[in-house]
Amino acid sequence: MAVFSLHSVASPRPSFLAYTIGAPVRGKTGEEIGRLDDLIVRIGDGLYPPIGGLIVRDRRKRFFVPASHLASLNGIVQLNTSLVDLQPFQRRDGEVLLSTDVLDHQIIDITGRRIVRVNDVQLASIDGQYRVVGVDVSPQALARRLAPRAWGDRIVGRQIIDWAEVQYLVSAAPVRLKVSYDKLSDLNPVDLARIVDALSYRESAEIVAALDDETAAETLEEVSDARLADLLEGMDQERAADILEEMAPNAAADILEDLDDEVAEQLLARMEPEEAADVQALLAYDEYSVGRMMTTDIVRVPAYMTVGETLAYIRGLEEPPDPLLAVYVVGQQNPDELDDLPEAADDSFSPNESGEQLDLEQLPYLLGIVRLRNLILSPAETLIRDVMDSDAPTVHPDDQAEEAARVLTEYNLLAVPVLDDQRHLIGIVTVDDALAVLLPEVWQHRGERTFS
Amino acid sequence: MTTYEENEGGRRLRGGRRRLLPYLLALGPGLLAASAGNDAGGIATYASAGASYGNGLLWAMVVVTIFVGIVQEMSARLGAVTGKGFSDLVRENFPLRATAFILLTLFIANFGIIVSEFVGIAAAAELFGVSRYIAVPVSAVIMWLLITRGSYGRVEKIFLGLSLAFLAYVAAVALARPDWAGVLQATVTPKLQLNAGYLQLLIAMVGTTISPYMQLYVQSSVVEKGVTPEEYPYTRFDVWVGTIFAGIVASCIIIATSTALFPRGVTVETAADAAMALQPVAGEYATILFGLGLLGASVLAAGVLPVATTYMLSEALGIERGVSRSWEEAPIFMGMFTGLLALGAALALIPGLPLIQVLVGVYVLNGVLLPIELFAILRLVNNKELMGSYTNRGIYNIIAWGVAVVVSLLSLTLIIITVLGWFGIQF
Repeated sequence: MAVFSLHSVASPRPSFLAYTIGAPVRGKTGEEIGRLDDLIVRIGDGLYPPIGGLIVRDRRKRFFVPASHLASLNGIVQLNTSLVDLQPFQRRDGEVLLSTDVLDHQIIDITGRRIVRVNDVQLASIDGQYRVVGVDVSPQALARRLAPRAWGDRIVGRQIIDWAEVQYLVSAAPVRLKVSYDKLSDLNPVDLARIVDALSYRESAEIVAALDDETAAETLEEVSDARLADLLEGMDQERAADILEEMAPNAAADILEDLDDEVAEQLLARMEPEEAADVQALLAYDEYSVGRMMTTDIVRVPAYMTVGETLAYIRGLEEPPDPLLAVYVVGQQNPDELDDLPEAADDSFSPNESGEQLDLEQLPYLLGIVRLRNLILSPAETLIRDVMDSDAPTVHPDDQAEEAARVLTEYNLLAVPVLDDQRHLIGIVTVDDALAVLLPEVWQHRGERTFS
Repeated sequence: MTTYEENEGGRRLRGGRRRLLPYLLALGPGLLAASAGNDAGGIATYASAGASYGNGLLWAMVVVTIFVGIVQEMSARLGAVTGKGFSDLVRENFPLRATAFILLTLFIANFGIIVSEFVGIAAAAELFGVSRYIAVPVSAVIMWLLITRGSYGRVEKIFLGLSLAFLAYVAAVALARPDWAGVLQATVTPKLQLNAGYLQLLIAMVGTTISPYMQLYVQSSVVEKGVTPEEYPYTRFDVWVGTIFAGIVASCIIIATSTALFPRGVTVETAADAAMALQPVAGEYATILFGLGLLGASVLAAGVLPVATTYMLSEALGIERGVSRSWEEAPIFMGMFTGLLALGAALALIPGLPLIQVLVGVYVLNGVLLPIELFAILRLVNNKELMGSYTNRGIYNIIAWGVAVVVSLLSLTLIIITVLGWFGIQF
């Protein structure tokens, strides 16, 4: 919770909206012009949005007074003129009414990583201009407004969030607005997902629309399945496909399976062919199988490389896998069939005759695993094959998730390789992947709402 | 991995956007919400009405069904157009003090229903010869555990299935060979009796059939499913089908009890009395069938209501919420939820509590509080800034206001009669 400091505020006492609304509006000579009905702000303008005008009510008429006429806001609203042009108020796009569209509405508290309701709005004069500087979310502010005025004044305590630390939701106002969602990028995708789950569908769609593809993908991976399906089906298909491309293939596969078949096919068709193929390969496996939950993005290296070359190779990758737990040493022949032969018999243990590196596609068999720890601790010139562990356990893509979890636990591993029927290395199952399948939904989505 | 139910529900509706038979595919929230109206209190009210006044309140069921349809429709429309739940909208569009008042009445009404559901559990348990002092606390604890552990969704279907036992009343009517001409005549000729007992039952019928939580439920599920204004016609169909279906079941309960109990002068004092009307269908198993239905319906609502009520208040207050939060994370939410469940169960255990009368009484209270909610809905649904071109139109608006006014008059009459009764003036 950011405690608002008054360092840049000229006014010694900040004003609060709840007691300002309904206050008498006085002209220069003290005559009452009407009562304050609302304050107009332009949310996009600067860190602390300035008050652009006042809506004053006189009997049944509401008229507009520009902020330039405002002298002070302190229990009463003092104007610096007595000549007010009584033009009736009409709403325009871009204008937010503080009492109607901000007070009592939900906003996102960025530092607190949660949704809060605005119980009061703090205003202050900065360089001669009144601005919105914070929101009060304390229950005391509610109590003050509920109680009769005489008691309300005795209720103390505020919990103020600096306006710079909140994200306003456009859907709270009935006019068209341009609001920057930059502040959301300060949030961790997991927290953002929790917020997306807790908001209404329309508000959550508004937030996801404002995120870049990568953040949107990271966030949506954590969002509850039902909300996620609604969001993806509700958005533009091109955008949905872009977001799916950014996701890990196993996450994308899980999501596509939950969607309407027709929509899933359309989205797959719009994805980049390479990414779509990865996802489709995973979709072929049973939902709770190893094949579905495995990670296919891994580092494969031939056995003849040195530790130094391997590290350089990883650094040179365009998108290194995340998490990166180990590198997988691959060869051209099935090591099971080479049991009696010396390792030199396998040509994949050294560069081929032309001296060029073999295409990794031609090295389908797993020879061994080098854990990141060993890779870092070993001298650069050591050959990879000398530090690899060649008798690690493996699992089959048709195995159930429980089987992979059992192997991971039994051998104290962070990841276990997946070999298909031809004994080809096709991916790994990490502890994370296994946990995601095995833990009940409620543990993954704490706070998901069952009813509201 | 979501629970199966969530996926299915979501898919059914999303599929509805583009598929054939979208109307049938959209059936769901409206149907469920309306059926939820036939819970423990509903059964007690309808059975009492049939036993005490024969088919004399059947006409009212028709009127009340139309009322329910209109109110449910407006709530669903609010959800589809604004994308927000009811308490959200109230907080954002009413002055704070009005908000507090509206939500307080909803809170009281919901709490009354929570008590009534535990009373229903007690009554069902006693039909099976289990003491309510065992059944009620045990079911409250089990429910608390199921909800906080997040497994409620999985068992919900079982209770929903059990509550279908009340469909047996439809069969009971067919087998009981009622005087169909008389039934038809009673259905179309409104006859109002001006005595407290009749009016109480009438208001209880309104209160149980249009209970606030049904509106809260239908609106929030429309919001959760992300129904858009364009898709709204499907939801409207769902709402009306559900309302009419629930109305038919309720009418059957009245006809069955009026055929089986009214001629013999049996008034419904206990759950066993209400079960007697099922004898044409189930014979000696009538009690068991009724008991299962009552248990299912009561547990279903008792599981949803405390959470729903707590969500309603914490959303309006903007406090940390979620049933899977720990006490440290969401102390107010967890405290309120646990308190509602515990207090509701405790009140249902007061020794010597006349169960059926309490059930009816709760719905009288509901009916009396209902006008406040109705006027709030009308204000919101006719707010142009909120609803744009989806406000109530012409005659529909007049009828909707008519519903609110009639319900208010009924409540007012009951209050006056009750107060006069305190001074010894009887009707």
